[in-house]
Amino acid sequence: MQTPDFKGTHLFDRLCWAKENLDGVQSDYRVVYEDSIDECAKILVPDPNWMACALQGGILPPVWVYWELAKDEAQPDFKKHTRGYLLHQTEPVGPMTEEEAIEYLIQKDVPQHVWKTWNEGNKPKMVICRKEQLPSTREWRNAWKIAEHIEATDLAA
Amino acid sequence: MAGKIVADTLEHSTAGSIATNYVVEGSAKVWTTFNGQSATITTTDSFNESSLTDTGTGRYAVNFTNNMGNTGYAITGALGSSDASYGAGWFNTGNAHSSFGHTVSNTTSSHRISQAHAVTAGNIDYTDVHSLVHGDLA
Repeated sequence: MQTPDFKGTHLFDRLCWAKENLDGVQSDYRVVYEDSIDECAKILVPDPNWMACALQGGILPPVWVYWELAKDEAQPDFKKHTRGYLLHQTEPVGPMTEEEAIEYLIQKDVPQHVWKTWNEGNKPKMVICRKEQLPSTREWRNAWKIAEHIEATDLAA
Repeated sequence: MAGKIVADTLEHSTAGSIATNYVVEGSAKVWTTFNGQSATITTTDSFNESSLTDTGTGRYAVNFTNNMGNTGYAITGALGSSDASYGAGWFNTGNAHSSFGHTVSNTTSSHRISQAHAVTAGNIDYTDVHSLVHGDLA
């Protein structure tokens, strides 16, 4: 199905169109990351409707738009967004592969200090894996950590 | 966009009229339902969610595709389990508070969920987790 020309269309309206016209895509990819040494590993799970939008193209704004809004929100005097138009008026990005969509999602929903320095330190702070590679039950969930022995070369394979 | 109707008021033949901003203001801006008890949590269905973050036992974050305009939005939640021993649970959302298991506050791009057993108060995973957000979009 062809995506309508959504340039300038409110992002919420684009999502309404996608919900009505696209089937959700359940991704098997998961992003495991640690943003604090005092906390267990966190698992990022892509939303199936969002993934459908990413694969379709012409719906989602470029990821830098979210960074700009996050910068605004980080200001101490932030009350409300005044640059929300960036979400709606910036030309949407084209279709992505599932892997490209995961990269986009990492840059959107994983803290920047994690993905910008994921491979600095004694062990990787972030790993992309298949859901089958996670523990099969949630027992001891609060003790889950990225394994110490993972090497960057394993991650690239 | 094709089929667009611009109107400030909707009028019924006998029941009166309503301003369309009631519809816009009153609509949920984000909703999601997911299984929080499966080994790797999975969204069952949703709207305006980009991803879920599993942050620990009974703790999650819902990440939005279209940011909210501010952090003053309202969150409604419900929990369910097919296991009767789970009983009633608490659905906590909101800002950093150690007793809720949150270490960060809600933002315009995501909100936190922490669910706890109503008797033991410990964090617990429920099979059916539902969350709904009302407020203003960015």
